[in-house]
Amino acid sequence: MERKVAIIGQAQTKHSEDIGMPRERMLFELVKGLFGQFGITRHDIDTFVLCSNDFQVGRTISNVFEDTPVGAYMKDETKVEADGVWAVTYATTRILSGIYDTALVVANSLGGSEFRPYLIMDYQLNPTYDRQLGFLNELSTAALQARSYMDKYGMTDAQLDMIAARLLRNAAKNPNALQAKADATPGYVAGSDYLYEPLRKLHCYPFTDGACALLLASAEKAKDLTDNPVWIAGMGDSIESYYVGERDLFRSRSTRLAAERAYKMAGISDPMGQIDVAEVSTKFAHQEPIICEALGLFEEGSGGEVADKGLSEIDGEMPVSPSGGGLGAYPFSAAGAICVAECFRQLTGSAGDAQVANAGAAVAHGQDGFCAQHNAVIVLSKEEG
Amino acid sequence: MAFEMGPETRQVQGTWDVTTYRYKIEGKGMKLLCDAMKEKKIRGIRCNECRTVYVPGPTFCRKCHIDIDEVVEVKDTGEVGTFAVLMADMRGNPVDTERVSAQIKLDGADTWLGGTIEGIDWHDVKIGMRVKAVWADNPEGKLSDIDHFEPA
Amino acid sequence: MRNVAIIGVGYTPVFVSKRKDVNIVEMISEAVDAAFRNTNLTPEDIDSITFGNMQTFEGLNLPHLWASEHIRALDKPTIRISTGGTTGMSTLQAAYYQVASGLHDVVMAVTWEKQSEGDSQVGLTGIVMPEAMVMIQHGMDLFGGRGMAGMGGGSTGAASYQAMSYLHHSGASPEHIDKMAALERTNASKNPYAHLRKVTTVEDIQATPFISWPLRYGHTCPTSDGATVAIVASEEKAKKLADQVAWITGVASCTSDPTTANLIEGQLTDSAEQQPARIASEKAFAMAGIKNPKKEIDMAELYNGFAHQSLMWLEKLGLCKEGEAHKMLDKGALDIEGELPTNASGGVFSTNAIGASAMNRPAECALQIMRKIEGEHQIPKKVRNALAHGWGGLFQYVTVVILSDEPRKAK
Repeated sequence: MERKVAIIGQAQTKHSEDIGMPRERMLFELVKGLFGQFGITRHDIDTFVLCSNDFQVGRTISNVFEDTPVGAYMKDETKVEADGVWAVTYATTRILSGIYDTALVVANSLGGSEFRPYLIMDYQLNPTYDRQLGFLNELSTAALQARSYMDKYGMTDAQLDMIAARLLRNAAKNPNALQAKADATPGYVAGSDYLYEPLRKLHCYPFTDGACALLLASAEKAKDLTDNPVWIAGMGDSIESYYVGERDLFRSRSTRLAAERAYKMAGISDPMGQIDVAEVSTKFAHQEPIICEALGLFEEGSGGEVADKGLSEIDGEMPVSPSGGGLGAYPFSAAGAICVAECFRQLTGSAGDAQVANAGAAVAHGQDGFCAQHNAVIVLSKEEG
Repeated sequence: MAFEMGPETRQVQGTWDVTTYRYKIEGKGMKLLCDAMKEKKIRGIRCNECRTVYVPGPTFCRKCHIDIDEVVEVKDTGEVGTFAVLMADMRGNPVDTERVSAQIKLDGADTWLGGTIEGIDWHDVKIGMRVKAVWADNPEGKLSDIDHFEPA
Repeated sequence: MRNVAIIGVGYTPVFVSKRKDVNIVEMISEAVDAAFRNTNLTPEDIDSITFGNMQTFEGLNLPHLWASEHIRALDKPTIRISTGGTTGMSTLQAAYYQVASGLHDVVMAVTWEKQSEGDSQVGLTGIVMPEAMVMIQHGMDLFGGRGMAGMGGGSTGAASYQAMSYLHHSGASPEHIDKMAALERTNASKNPYAHLRKVTTVEDIQATPFISWPLRYGHTCPTSDGATVAIVASEEKAKKLADQVAWITGVASCTSDPTTANLIEGQLTDSAEQQPARIASEKAFAMAGIKNPKKEIDMAELYNGFAHQSLMWLEKLGLCKEGEAHKMLDKGALDIEGELPTNASGGVFSTNAIGASAMNRPAECALQIMRKIEGEHQIPKKVRNALAHGWGGLFQYVTVVILSDEPRKAK
């Protein structure tokens, strides 16, 4: 690669159950705020990469009314329809091509107030078979995955509760999180209702309205605009079989392959030693160990032990999701972009109460599909490399 | 290269139910317009920077990317920007009477508004033609308060 | 940036209104297999996959997840792009950027639509569903047509607004639309991958009833089932893998505001103005080193859901002067044997598997440059530069790809 790409700014909504305004207004205010941080206008953006989903917006061509609020009137614009982390990789790719110097990524969903997420998720199913049978859905497949990991590696319900409790406590330190509790204990999590055994309500992502915008730039442009850029050091993604029954649900093959690609690009050979903080897109608490292990941050099957020892706490050996991750807020389409944005906050030292000390390299993750069928990984660094 | 299709596969039913959405839509511009129409007036929003007048008025300017809220009144006369003559109904059957629907640039506005044109043979409708709104006798603050447009 | 070429194309065996013999993923894999067959590549040769369609037309969310193994994507990077009518070309452009950036060497772009599995009217109405509901709440007489009647009769009504404005400003007559329609349908009759394949005369077109003046049934496109796949590669790989290639020398996209149906916040632009076409084409020409597109572009494949649009796009994309397109048509310049063959394939107007429609444009250009056209619509003259165009959204998106017989000249 001839070029380097940096993230120079991020903005998020205060994620909520009901954002209380139209999508277009939410996007306009978000982007206007981000432009304001740098004193730039929409004319400083070379390419706009939007990220939303027709089924989640309830509109054919979901970006039809999204491009003017983000400032793309008479500008270059495209849309990724997947998790927001792919919008970040695509924007990066566009800058790497040398054709653009600045890119704005804007990802959003009103999953809290505008539609019923579990219902909409069913539209991902093979319509001729799985959707007709009605057995597979977002929750049932997640429960299968949770049970698969817990049985394989002997992780207990109490340990699963510990993961969720930690994320809820982290979320309390994140001003934008929706589902949070500063003094959450495993007992508090265990007190919530079962949605699909072994998953309780507080093991699951909250239905969230929210959006995230990220400003990306080539090296020269980045240095013009900020003293504190965060470099995209590596990216990778991979997809595996749609058929849940064909996969080892207790591990994530596609996350592992995605991470291998991203680490190779970033020159990372020892993720445990070289990565300082991870923001992983976990829709459900049990996915955290599965994904972190595939990212090479912990030994395979160590989820229970990691929870017991508090290794993934903000002040632990390998802090994971100091923002609260997917349990804190999960606006579809934006969730992965938020992981990238949270890594940016960590690496620029602006993560407030959730700040990890001396964070120099971070890994962000995003997922799509039932049981995280499709995964993408971005390595971020303070060093230009 | 003759390609022959194979036997038909089984079919199953599925639906996409758009009624499950609770859409949030900006209502300010439409409310401003409809409230004005009760008084047989037409109001929109002007951008302070580029002076573009939008009817109905949005809350931000598409060109300048800034908040806008300056209410302006535009005239109920204008010119035909473009038009079409509806000759078949939604199901494709020919209609009894052709209907001229048009996009009209009202005097004082920079945007186009939809409306029907009556009182003229459709063959004689031209782009650029002057038209004026014909109001309902008892406006109720609805889009239907402008019954139609006719040549001015 | 690195030079990038299309090294091969794969179509489903046919584009028809109903493929009842295959399901969605089986249909897509037909085009994927064809692309492998035509390039002598195997799935192992592919580094990454880009995938696009308009998912509400089938009611299937994120279909790349289900299709992952059918598009041979397992264990590979995959990205889903969806931008409305322009989806096909946006998906190709994503593949282009992945190679141009140096991230990948060989990328496969997969685009498709199986419109028979869904309801196209629901798909189209879905674009403005919430706005239409607000209009109805505020007293719009949707069916009676009194008062503020919105779009004047669905998508054809909106297109009629555009056609009327175009005719007015260009000086073309409605008969020119009939003539363009007849030309493209006749071109389609020579293309084995076209959907409506029938030698068509101006009289045939004029025998169809009007939907919304100035547009007739004979001016509208079909809804099709079909898929198109293109494989792109870096210069180094292209030279190793293929004898004939077509170079992607310019790419661009541009959006404006939702014209024709910005029902509740004021429509800013005339839908026949299409400023994005001007902006995107100028950018793409500059990138391709094309200084005089009127002379240097040898053929065009334009996105024309309605017959008047080919003429309009020629002008808006800078391939002829404003008001000149219909004169070129009259001179025969737009024929397959003419100076500027336009939609030799028959265009979207004859074949419309929506997600693939904007991909078929550059695919056809590439095959013309490689002289690998199957069927009778090979352009006789040598094609050096071709313009492929995509259009979509609420009349607001434009994408442009320039294809050439030589790589982009380094500046």
